[in-house]
Amino acid sequence: MAKLSMKRIEIVALLKDRKKIMERLQRRGIIEFSDCQDEALIKMNTASFVSQFEKNMNAAMQAKEILDEYAPIKKSFLSTLNGRRAIEKNEFGRYVDQSVAYLKNCYDLVDAKKTITDNQAAIIRTQTLMDSLKIWLDLDIPMQFRGTNNTRCFVGILPKKRTSEDILWEMTQRNPALEMLHVEVISAFKEQTCVVVICHSTIAEDMNETLRQMGFIFPSDPTKHAPKLRMQRYEDDLIRYNREIDESIHKIKSYADKNEEIEFLVDYLAMRKEKYIALNKIALTKNTFIIAGYIPEKYAQKCAEELEARFTVVINLTTPDDDEDVPVLLENGEFAAPVEGITEMYALPTKRDIDPSSVMAFFYYLFFGMMLSDAGYGVIMVVGTAIALKKFNIEGSMRKSLKMFFYCGISTVFWGAMFGSWFGDIVPIVCTQFLHIDAPSLALWYEPITDPMKLLLLSFALGIVHLFVGLAANFKIIWNEGKRADAIWDTIPTYLLVLGAAPLAAGVLTSVPVIVTTVGKYMALAGILFIILTSGRASKNIFARLGGGLYGLYNISSGYLSDILSYSRLLALGLATGSIAGVINLMGTMPDSIAVKAILLPIVFLIGHPLNMAINLLGAYVHTNRLQFVEMFSKFYEGGGRAFNPLKVNTKYIKFKEDIHNG
Amino acid sequence: MDNLGLALAILGAVSAALFAGIGSAKGVGIVGEAASGVLAEDPSKFSKLIILILLPGTQGLYGLLTAVLVLSQIKVLGGNPIDLTVSQGLMYLAACLPIAFVGLFSAIAQGRAAAAGVGIVAKKPDQSGKAITLAAMVETYAILALLVSILVVSSLK
Repeated sequence: MAKLSMKRIEIVALLKDRKKIMERLQRRGIIEFSDCQDEALIKMNTASFVSQFEKNMNAAMQAKEILDEYAPIKKSFLSTLNGRRAIEKNEFGRYVDQSVAYLKNCYDLVDAKKTITDNQAAIIRTQTLMDSLKIWLDLDIPMQFRGTNNTRCFVGILPKKRTSEDILWEMTQRNPALEMLHVEVISAFKEQTCVVVICHSTIAEDMNETLRQMGFIFPSDPTKHAPKLRMQRYEDDLIRYNREIDESIHKIKSYADKNEEIEFLVDYLAMRKEKYIALNKIALTKNTFIIAGYIPEKYAQKCAEELEARFTVVINLTTPDDDEDVPVLLENGEFAAPVEGITEMYALPTKRDIDPSSVMAFFYYLFFGMMLSDAGYGVIMVVGTAIALKKFNIEGSMRKSLKMFFYCGISTVFWGAMFGSWFGDIVPIVCTQFLHIDAPSLALWYEPITDPMKLLLLSFALGIVHLFVGLAANFKIIWNEGKRADAIWDTIPTYLLVLGAAPLAAGVLTSVPVIVTTVGKYMALAGILFIILTSGRASKNIFARLGGGLYGLYNISSGYLSDILSYSRLLALGLATGSIAGVINLMGTMPDSIAVKAILLPIVFLIGHPLNMAINLLGAYVHTNRLQFVEMFSKFYEGGGRAFNPLKVNTKYIKFKEDIHNG
Repeated sequence: MDNLGLALAILGAVSAALFAGIGSAKGVGIVGEAASGVLAEDPSKFSKLIILILLPGTQGLYGLLTAVLVLSQIKVLGGNPIDLTVSQGLMYLAACLPIAFVGLFSAIAQGRAAAAGVGIVAKKPDQSGKAITLAAMVETYAILALLVSILVVSSLK
């Protein structure tokens, strides 16, 4: 249990079997390919294929999004938990034959979507044009009209709002020689006036000059015909754009039944992409190809036999060298596997590390329950996760997380029952407020708020056990490396010091039998002595050794003190859950009248408790993680390994119906 | 002046809720602002971000918790407050100070840490656990303060 031991695998096979072997390995999903570097061998360059697959895959994913937008399939939240669709192998083959057609559908969908967005942009553009043309609608001649043989016509815009009389008057003011004119205002607004001025061609030059002085400008985009005609054209455009959008939406909706095919295509292309990336790593000769990689030892033999039975292959399994960068895959039993996700969140184990999942699993559940510590909330967690696990086909890390919360829920029920907290103090409250009877305490052990000191000491004690288990793991690691003296000197003195000092410190808070403190005193002294003598053993110089010893003593004692005090959060968060739950119940029973209380309490209960549960779940999760990461892992765990990343069927929507490890 | 002791105790309870509440409001606000920027780009990160946003909110709850603990102990919540001497009142006031002030400042500091963590969620959503852990480090001190406040209040019974 824990880290799976890895083998190096080399497969040499005939080139003609390449496709079949690769596909089989991909479905098995148990070999991580490493790059075959050998100058004598030919390498394939699959980059162009990979980018082609990526392009098509993007189109398929866009198509899926488009379908989801315009023709969503009604799915309840719960059914999304249901995991991937399992398909038979021959069904897969049938899909593959059709994949070109599916891809065409995808591009059709993408095109239709493009038409929609293009037309939406065109509609906005046209509407702005219509807005700027609207002010000329009352003009019944073309805006480009420049006059007849004997007249000149000016169609344009003057600043500010004016009437035709204003304009005429200003013109004659500026140039009294101007006469025989006609001024017509088409439309007038606060900041501009659209105007037509017609005059005799003989005074055209003067008129032009006067108009210029008045700030006259020609319109930027004059019409060839009467503006109404252009407006009509714009309106026709709008109708056409909208019609095209409707058609495209209709078209997209007609693909609604293609959803499954597109999902298949996304996955199929993803699989092929992965395969071609792996192909990039294999090496070829004229007639053979060579795969190198890592395989978990437990699958190695079976995989070799399977390939040998079907193909002409030579398979070579070796133990990796010590300096190789071997990938890490975790495997744990039913109880520890759920917290693998927590380990992964921190960092995967390196070659030297052991898998911390099994070390911390018990404490993880224990501490989580102690921090949440309400049996009512625990029951909700247990029932909720159990139903989800039973009813739905949940896969992968989601399944592990749910299992983790299932175990955490059991622990929460345990601690809640010990402390007598069921949705806070709802049972005593109902008994005293409504039934007018005295409720006995529900606590199997005691209610922490009555004597927090006792629970604080228990928290510290559990903390010490937790830290000691971490230290024991460190002992095991160093011992197994063959450095037995180091294993003893790095751990035993610390045990002595902490174990000896603990009763002395506890004596401050509570009464401890004299015999225990006396023994503790000598143990602690022995521990201090050993630490001073051995911590600096790396250096040769006697003074450097002593200095190192004192420094080690300071490090260990201050480190352990702060580590152990950190476990006080077990008490604090536990009290917080119960007390806030109590406050909620209290709020529901504030009024004097029983009738009002009977209405108010359920409402407050149904709003308050889910809120309290959510916030304390978050707190318990975060702080349990912290106790593992900061307090325990620092005792033995380094982390920084590379995750095992095999060629596999890495799909979102479909999976194969056969006994394989496809993630 | 015969109620001064009670007044001091109430002052303590109120300041626990008041200052820790101010801190949480600021802290949650800081993270909320940072998270909105990410949500504008990618609304699907909401579930990951909401955890970061909520983290600095706990100090306010701790303040509320201490306040209610004190108020119920001096029976203000029951409706007939008990008589307290001035020194008893001062003790309650003193008991509330840790969570009041550590709550105020740690919530703001935690808000900053969580707001920085929003960047982690934006760039590497699969590493959001680390962002949460970093922000949770700050909370330790609020928890220690809450613990001291609770221990003192419950010892005054």
